[in-house]
Amino acid sequence: MPGQAVGTETDADNPGPRTFAGVLRAQQSMVFSIAYHFLRDRSAAEEVAQDVFLQLHRRFEDLKSDEHISYWLRKVASHRCIDYVRKQKSQAAVRLDDVPTPSVDGEPQDHFLNRRLQSLIGSLPEKPRMVMILRYQEDLMPEEIASVMDMPVRTVKSHLQRSLAMLREKIDRSMGEIR
Amino acid sequence: MMDDLEKQIKEALAKKEPSPFFEARVLGAVKRQQKEHRASSRLWWASAMAAMLLAITGSVWQHERNVREEAAGKEAKARLELALKITSVKLQRISRKVEGI
Repeated sequence: MPGQAVGTETDADNPGPRTFAGVLRAQQSMVFSIAYHFLRDRSAAEEVAQDVFLQLHRRFEDLKSDEHISYWLRKVASHRCIDYVRKQKSQAAVRLDDVPTPSVDGEPQDHFLNRRLQSLIGSLPEKPRMVMILRYQEDLMPEEIASVMDMPVRTVKSHLQRSLAMLREKIDRSMGEIR
Repeated sequence: MMDDLEKQIKEALAKKEPSPFFEARVLGAVKRQQKEHRASSRLWWASAMAAMLLAITGSVWQHERNVREEAAGKEAKARLELALKITSVKLQRISRKVEGI
């Protein structure tokens, strides 16, 4: 309800009634990370995350438990990210083959691999990309992802399998080039 | 069971923190949203009251117009009746004169 209090600075010390400020503090990393891994742009991710929390504030009284809030935030964040990208259609989409292979000079192998993986995941089509983020960032099971994304479980599994196979192939190829 | 690639993906997709000002910015936006909501609520009520006042004024004005028109109609009817009576009397006089010729 827009008229409600936004919470106080003492939320973390006082385990009283749930407040919007407390939920914001606890969940901002999750919502921001979904948006950041999906959009790969900090300011766009913060913009989307802020919109998600503003929407949460309007619905706060309807959400009865922490689990419900987490589920709702994941769902709204996922859909908002996809909508955001669709609105930015004017920007040329990065094709998988166009993703640059970062230089490895002076970088530890893991750091290089992480950046390469982030680029490859960022180049996936919208829905498979969000499925991967929900699976590996949020540790959700395919059934939970299906519920968040409003899609059949078999589609989620199929996205996961195809994305993993593609990533495996691309990473193997990158490693081969480096060696 | 996760294989090495999946573990690496999980690491690559580790949670990140937004900027330190994010929380304050969201709370500020929430307050602005509340203010806008209150302002739009007030505007809504003001519009509703104005519309109601207009409807009441309109119906009072319409009622008064009906009353005025009814009174004017009655007055016109009375004048017409009087004119008809006068005409009738005059016709009777003329008729008597014609019969006397």
